[in-house]
Parts: sequence; C-alpha cells; structure tokens
Amino acid sequence: MGQIVVGYDGSDCSRNALAEALRTADALGDGVTVVFGYAPPGLWGGEIAEHEEAIEERGQKVLTEAKHQAEAAGATVELELVAKKAPEAIVEVSDKREARMIVVGSYGEAPLKGMIIGSTPYKLLHLSQRPVLVVPTDA
Amino acid sequence: MESSAVQPTSASAPPVPRAPSSGDKGLKKNAIGFVSSVVIGVASTAPGYSLAATLGFIAAAVALQAPAILLISFVPMFLVAAGYYYMNKADPDCGTSFSWVTKAMGPQLGWIAGWTIVVADVIVMANLAQIAGLYTFELFGWTAAAESTAAVTAVGVIWIAIMTTIVVIGIELSARTQVGLLAAEIFTLALFAIVALIKVYSGDAGPDAIHPSLSWINPFSLSPSEISAGMLLAVFIYWGWDTTATVNEETENPDEAPGKATVASTVILLGIYVIVAFAAQAYAGVDQLIANQEDVLSSLGTEVFGSPLDKILIIAVLTSAAASTQTTILPTARTTLSMARSNAMPHSLGKVHPRFLTPHVSTIWMGIASILWYVGLTLVSEDILFDSLAALGLMIAFYIGLTGFACTIYYRRELTRSVKNFFFVGAGPFIGGVILFYLLIKNAIELSDPANSESGNSWLGIGPPLLIAAFFLVLGVLLMVVQWRKVPAFFKRRPEVAPAGFLEGEADLEPVPIAQSGDGKGA
Repeated sequence: MGQIVVGYDGSDCSRNALAEALRTADALGDGVTVVFGYAPPGLWGGEIAEHEEAIEERGQKVLTEAKHQAEAAGATVELELVAKKAPEAIVEVSDKREARMIVVGSYGEAPLKGMIIGSTPYKLLHLSQRPVLVVPTDA
Repeated sequence: MESSAVQPTSASAPPVPRAPSSGDKGLKKNAIGFVSSVVIGVASTAPGYSLAATLGFIAAAVALQAPAILLISFVPMFLVAAGYYYMNKADPDCGTSFSWVTKAMGPQLGWIAGWTIVVADVIVMANLAQIAGLYTFELFGWTAAAESTAAVTAVGVIWIAIMTTIVVIGIELSARTQVGLLAAEIFTLALFAIVALIKVYSGDAGPDAIHPSLSWINPFSLSPSEISAGMLLAVFIYWGWDTTATVNEETENPDEAPGKATVASTVILLGIYVIVAFAAQAYAGVDQLIANQEDVLSSLGTEVFGSPLDKILIIAVLTSAAASTQTTILPTARTTLSMARSNAMPHSLGKVHPRFLTPHVSTIWMGIASILWYVGLTLVSEDILFDSLAALGLMIAFYIGLTGFACTIYYRRELTRSVKNFFFVGAGPFIGGVILFYLLIKNAIELSDPANSESGNSWLGIGPPLLIAAFFLVLGVLLMVVQWRKVPAFFKRRPEVAPAGFLEGEADLEPVPIAQSGDGKGA
C-alpha cells in the first residue's frame, strides 16, 4: 500500500487538495497522510514560543478539520504536525513515508504575487524528489 | 524538528500532544549560528538608523562629550542584559519583559511592562517612518520633497504600511542576505568615519572641523544633568541589543555561543558608535550636528563623501531602518499575542493568520496605531514628533529597568549561593535597573520644565515629552483596569520565585500556572 501526502492549511484550496488525494488514494488503494507545517516566521526577539504555540493550536484545529473532512468522505487519514515551514514539512513527511506522490492545493494567484507572498506548490516543485500534484482552487 | 512531529492515528481524536514544555519548545535547535546571533544583536539595534536619529540630540545635550555618553550609557544596558539572560533560562518562552515581570513581580506590573513595550514601539515606528521618508527623498536628491512635511509624512505612512504588510505576510530576508546587508551598513559607517577623519587631518573638512581629542570619551567631564539627559537618549541607541541574550535557545552550542555573540555584538556596536560620533563631530563640529538633528548622517554624508558616493550612506541608513522596522513590529506583535493568550489583552490579538501563520491581528493594529500616531503628531507639530523621542527614552528605561529588577527579585533565593550568582544574577541587573530608574526620574523632573523640550511648548504647564509618557501610562492603567474587570483570570496570578539551586540544576521550577490560553475559545 502506497502513501499519498497532502499539505493542508484549512483553506478552500487545501480542502480541494485533500478531496483529490482521497479520490486518488481510493482508486490506487493508498493511504493518506495530512501534513501541517508550523514554523513561526522570524526569529527576531521576544515571545517566539507563544507565537509558535498559537500556530500549533491552529495546526491542531486544522488537522482535526481534515480528519472530519476525510471521515465525511468515508476515509481515515493520518495526521502529522511538523515544526517546519510548509514545504519542508511536506517533503520531510513524504520522504519518511516514501510517499507515491504529494498533493497540494494552489491559491491560484498570479505568478508574481505568488513569488512575493511565497507559494508552497512552487517551492515543492523544486524541493521534492517525488511527483507533485497541484490542485487548482476551483477544481 | 523531527522530535515535534507527532502522528496520532486517525482513531485518536484529541489534540496532538505538545512537546514537553521544559526548555524544549520545539524551537529550531542550532538554527542560529554564531554569526547570525551577532547579526541579530547588531541589526536589532539598527546602528545606522539609531545614529542618524539620535546623534544630533546627544550633541545638543552634551556637546563634545557625545562619545563619552555613548560609552557609559552602555553600562546599565549591559548589566540588565545579564538579567535578560537569566530570566530567559527560567522562562525559555523567549519571553520579554511582559512574561518576566509578570512572573517576578505580579500581573499588574507585568501588564504595564508589556504595554510600555507596545507604546514605545508605536512611537519609534513614527520616528523610523520619518527617517525613512526623509532618506528616501535624499536618496533621489529630491530636496524640495525632503523639505516638505506633507511629502515626507506621506512616504513615511507608505513605509509603515509596506512594512506592516511584509510582517503580516512573513516575508523575511534570508540570514545570509541579512549578514550581507549588515556588513555593508557597518562597512559604510566605518568608511564614513575614516574618510571624515582623514579630511579633518588633511584640512579638507571645512571651517567647523576640530581635531579629535581623547577628552571626548572622558565621562568625568560631564555634569550630572548632562549625564542623565545624554544617557536617556543613548539608552535608545542601544535599544534592541538586549535581544541577543534571548535567542540563546536556538543558538548552536547554547552554553558558549550566546555569551560570545553578546560580547562580539557589544564590541561592534560600541566601536561603531564611538568612532562615528568622533568622526562626525570632528568633521562638522557640534553646531552642525545640532542644526541637522533629525538626520545627521544625510547632510554629513554629502559633505564627506561627495556625490554620488554619499548615496551609499543614505542606503545604509535606509536598510538599517528597514531592518529595524522588522525587529520592531514582529516582537511587538508577539508581545500583544502573548498578552492576549494569557488573557491580558483581547482574544482577537492572539490570532494567527490562517495562511501566513503570523500574528496578523496584532501586527495590523500595530501598523494602524503607528500611522495614527505619526500623522496625528505631524499635524500638531513636527517638533513634538522629536519630543516623543525623549518620551521614548523614558519608556525604554522604564521597562528595561523593570526587567532588571524582575531578575533580582525572581532569583532572590539564588543570590547567596555563589559569588557569581550574587554579582551577575543579583547585583548587576539590579544596579542596571537602578541606573535606568534614576535616569528616568531625573529626566522626568527636568522635562517637567517646558523649556527643556525640543518644541519649547508647554502643555498643561509641563513639557510635552513628560506629558506624552504620563498620558500613555494613565491610558495603560485604564486599559488594564478594563481588561481586569472583563477577564480577571490573568490578574489573579501570583508572583513566583525561582527555588534555590535552580541555576545549578539542583532544583526544578514549580509548574507555571496556565492561564487557559488554548481553551477552545481561541483560534
């Protein structure tokens, strides 16, 4: 049984990505692992751990949502909360699980905007040694 | 880190368990090397911008003794930084004064300390924006615009807006880029000092030039009132340096490296400040520094370097201001986030952005408050904007001094256990705190005379800087009472004390009272 790793941040596009991953996994007989990466931006000065805890709580909430979404679709998923930025977290988990592929959603913004605000799919294409499936926003 | 990756199976619904909170907060270990630690210490202080904004005012306060002031002002900061270091050991939350003062001296003082950080940062944003606006026009040689208050303010506002957006999105320069920028900044400042001094000795420096004298760094030729006025300004110039003491958790080789990084960043800062101050006043004389208080370096840069090389000094100050904005907004937003999560401020300030994972509500409010303050003050009077710099000194002295006291009080059972403890954990931070509070009170008394303010205005019979500081203190107390009545939980916390033997690893801390932050209401 292979593994499909999904990057999930609770946004609509990540819900689409999870839905697509569940369909693909069903067809292939694979398991699905949902990843949330939560490194806080910026090491500058105070209260970093508080910030990180706030993000971690956010991650737990989001992963619970993912679990419910999967249950609603009649599937079970594994959840991973990783203290790294999203792209690195996804690559790490997919390497660990020897995933067949990575599935992420795309916010669907213009390339320049994506470059400025940081695009996880774009970074994954460079970082990942595995196939990456990018699911558009309104798929 | 791998250690924080937890994978509950799909069957277990309860929240993913958190890494144990003792020391290991899941922060990236070894994330920061020695060089990066030094860079964080120096860049947080923003030497280029700090000099541009402060040197003229220091010259106005102490004339030729500016280098001496820069030298002795470091003493209280250094003493309190030891307090930062030890409090960080007990509360590895990378907390700042809010968490620590709460721990040692109770929630009321802690709240006021946190509030003071926020206010100081809002005020400094206005000054930063002013410098950034001015230097942006200087960069393009657009003198008419640089002299127009409206134009400078407009660019300043845009600057705050852009910087706030950048922090919300979480864009960061890579560590390597930061090292590069900082190196360029320090190189430029050093080059400026060297060229200026060469011109002074070769007689090319103009009629106001004076030969440097060692007496400039002699602190004993200062009068007590010069010392207090000068030091309060110079406290601002070292503000930010204390962060080096708090990044130790993530530093490689955490027992050795942070100490060395602190020493290295100290030497760099002290060196840069004293040398640039020497060069600037040797080249231009005190009067010219005072005449160009609000932007010492741009006017001097043009004379020293000549066109177009003078632009590199302007770029250095601009990048320094940019770095400083980042090191101002982000920690402040985190302070309010931390306060919100402890129930000390409204819950919404504790939210993180769903996509960018930054404390966006806190950050955006910081930006809005800064813009309102900046525009509001500029409309009233530009002089008062500079008066607020003096008020800023009062606030920084207050919360950094309070942090010094917090360390001594929190570790009171440790102090007699070793000579080292007594001096570094007890006496040092305490004396640093006393010096800062002495400056604060002395200056408050002097500033109560309207004649001693930049604007010379009198509001309600006292000088604007003192009134600004008093206004924010009263506002802070009022807001605290509002929050206290609404959500009393945080304010019921009792001060804690470190058990004897904690620093030697012989005793553990009592469990920290949880101020139910993740109670399902949040996020």
